[in-house]
Amino acid sequence: MNLSSVESLAYSLPELILVFATVGILMLDLLITRKRILGELALCACGGAALASALLAGAEQGYLFNQMVALDGFAIFFKLFLSLSAFAAVYMSLGSRELDNEHPGEYYTLLLAAATGTFYMASATNLLMAYLALEFVSLTSYVLTGFIRASRRGSEAALKYLIYGGVASGAMVYGMSLIFGLAGSLDYATIGERLLVPSEANGPILFIAVLLVLAGFGYKISMVPFHMWSPDVYQGAPLPVTAYLSVGSKAAGFAMMIRFFYVALSHAGAGGVWATIEGLEWPNLIVLGSIITMTLGNLAALRQDNVKRLLAYSSIAHAGYILMGFVVLSDAGLRAMLFYIATYYLMNLGAFTVLMMVLNNSDREDMEAFRGLAWRGGALPAAAMAVFMFSLAGVPPFAGFIGKFYLFAAVIDKEMWMLAIVAALNSVVSLYYYARIVRTMYLDQPLKSDPVMTTDWHSGAFAGVLAVGTIVFGVYWRPLIDLADKSLVFFRG
Amino acid sequence: MEEFSLSVAAFYFMAGLTLLGAGGVVFTENIVYSALSLMVSFFGVAGLYIFLNADFVAGVQVLVYVGGVLVLTLFAVMLTHQIAEIEVSNKSVGRVPALLICGGLFLVIAKALRGAEFFTTPGGQVSESSTYGIGNLLLREYILPFELASVVLLAVLVGAVVLSRKEVIAPDGTPVPERETIPLTEGQRVMSSPRAALAGAAAKQKVSDV
Repeated sequence: MNLSSVESLAYSLPELILVFATVGILMLDLLITRKRILGELALCACGGAALASALLAGAEQGYLFNQMVALDGFAIFFKLFLSLSAFAAVYMSLGSRELDNEHPGEYYTLLLAAATGTFYMASATNLLMAYLALEFVSLTSYVLTGFIRASRRGSEAALKYLIYGGVASGAMVYGMSLIFGLAGSLDYATIGERLLVPSEANGPILFIAVLLVLAGFGYKISMVPFHMWSPDVYQGAPLPVTAYLSVGSKAAGFAMMIRFFYVALSHAGAGGVWATIEGLEWPNLIVLGSIITMTLGNLAALRQDNVKRLLAYSSIAHAGYILMGFVVLSDAGLRAMLFYIATYYLMNLGAFTVLMMVLNNSDREDMEAFRGLAWRGGALPAAAMAVFMFSLAGVPPFAGFIGKFYLFAAVIDKEMWMLAIVAALNSVVSLYYYARIVRTMYLDQPLKSDPVMTTDWHSGAFAGVLAVGTIVFGVYWRPLIDLADKSLVFFRG
Repeated sequence: MEEFSLSVAAFYFMAGLTLLGAGGVVFTENIVYSALSLMVSFFGVAGLYIFLNADFVAGVQVLVYVGGVLVLTLFAVMLTHQIAEIEVSNKSVGRVPALLICGGLFLVIAKALRGAEFFTTPGGQVSESSTYGIGNLLLREYILPFELASVVLLAVLVGAVVLSRKEVIAPDGTPVPERETIPLTEGQRVMSSPRAALAGAAAKQKVSDV
C-alpha cells in the first residue's frame, strides 16, 4: 500500500504519542509544581509508543506519507526497540541524582523529541527524510549532552559533539546531493533501480558520494575514523543521556544505514543473499571500518580508569562487532545484527544502570568507586555488574555470547576468515578490561573510607530485570532470534 | 569555447562573486571582514539560484542567510566583549599539509565529477515562477518533512533556551534557578534575583564572621 498523508496518520500512532507527549510536557511544565510527574508522564508516553509499535506488527506493510517512510517489519522492530530505549533513558533519569533540579520539563521534552527523531531514522525511505531525522536526533543530543550547565566537562563535550556533528552531516548532505544528481530521485527504491544499470563514467563519483554519506552514518554509530567525539561526549554527558546515546541513537544509526545500503545500494537475490549494485563494492570499505573500529575501541579501553569512558570505548568496539553482520550481505548477517543490537540493549544499559547506582552513592565513576563493592553492602549490584561485564565480553552462558555466535556464524559462512580472526582476538582482549571491573568489585578489599553502598529499589529492580534478561536470552534465545527473523522485511514498493 | 552570451557572462560573474566572498571569509584575519565577505558569498549564491530559475530559493537565501544568519553572526561578533584583545589560539598552523589534503581532495572530486553523467529530466524551458510548485509540493508530497521540521525547530528553540539560561551556583555547588521566592527577614517575601540573594547571604556571613 502507498498511503497519502491523512490516511497515514492511522499508522503513525507511536510517533503521534511521542510528539503529543513532547509538546504536552513542555506546556504542563508551566502549570504543575511537582516536576516528577513530568518524568512519569514521559515514561508513560514511551511505554505507550512501545505498545502502539507492537500493535502495528500485524498491519499491512507499505509506504506512508507519499513514500517518505516505510511501514515494514524492519521499521516495526526498530520502533519497538527505540521506544524501549527511550523508556530506559527516562527511567534512569528519574533515578539519577545528577539530574535533580535540572529543569525536568525541558529535559524530558528534549529526550522525547530525540526519541521521535530516532523513529523516523529507522523508517525513512527518502534521502530528505533521512537527513532531517538524523539532524533532529543530533541537535537534541547536543543539548542533552550539555544539559547540566554547572558541568564544565559536559559543556565541552557538547561543543565537541556539535562541531564533529556539523562536519559529518555537512559531508553527508554533500554526498546525498551527488546521489540525487546521479539518480534524479530522493526515494531509496527509485535510486536503487536507476543506479542498477552500471555506468563506467559514474563509478568514481558514486564511490565518493557513498563515502561522504558514510561519514554521516559512521559518526552516528561511532565507527572509526568518525568516532572521535564519542569518548568525550559519553564521559561528559549526564549518565542517562550517555546510556541513551550508546543504545538508542546508535541503533537508529544502524537502522538507517542498513536501509540505505541495502535498499538503495543493493538488491536482494534468492536465498537471503544480497548483491551490491555493480561497480560499487561498499562491503570492502566497511570490512576495513569494522576491523579498525573494534580493534581501536578495545585497545583504547584497556587503559581507562574512568568506567564511563571505558564503557564509551567498549561501545565503539561493539559498533565494530555489529558491523560484522553488515558486510556479509546476507539475511543471516542482518538477523545477527538485529539480535546483537537487542542483546546489547540488555547488557549495556545494565552496566550503565549499575554505574549510575555507584555514581549516586559515591559521586564517583572511576574504577576506585567499584573497589570491594560486593563487600560493602553492594552484593546484588556487583553480581548484576558481573553478569553484564561477562556478557559484554561474550562469555557463555550470557546473551552476549549468543549474539557474537550469530555474528561469527554469518561471517564464517561467507568465509571472511580475516574478519573472524580479528574479531575473535578482540573478544579476548576485551575480556581483560571487563574482568578487571569484576576483579575490582570482588577481589579488592574495600578501604575504610569507601562509603557503604546503598541502593534505591527502582534502580536495583531495573538492573535486576536487565540481568535476568541477559541470562534468559543466553539460555533460551529462540523467541528473540525468531523476532529478528520475522523483522527482516523491507518494503520496496 | 562556448559561445559568449549575456547569460554566460552573468553566470561567471555570480560564480566569481561567490568564490571571491568565500576566499575572503577564509583568508582575512579580521573576523568582521570575514563576516562581511560571507555576505558577498551569500549574495553570489542567491544570484546563482536566480540564474537556475529557482526564484523562491533565491529569495529565501537572501532573507534567511543574509537577513538572519549573517546579521546574527555580526551581532555575536560585535557584542562579544574584547574580541580584539583575545589572542587567537588557532593560528592557522600546518598550511602546507592542509593545502595538500584539500587540493588533493578537490582534484579527485573534480576529476570524478567531470566524467559523470548526471540524471537529466526531459523537458524544455521552465519559465513560470517556482513558488507555486514548491508550495504545492510542501503541502502534498513533502508534508511529513515539513511538519517534522516544525518539531525540530521547537526542540531546537527549547534547547537554545536551556543552554543560554543564566544560572548562579550556590556556595554548596547546587545551581540556583534564575528567579525564585526567597524568604527575607520578618516573614517578608519578595521576588529577587538569586544573584542578589547570594550576595546578601555572603554579606551576612561576613558580618557574622566579624
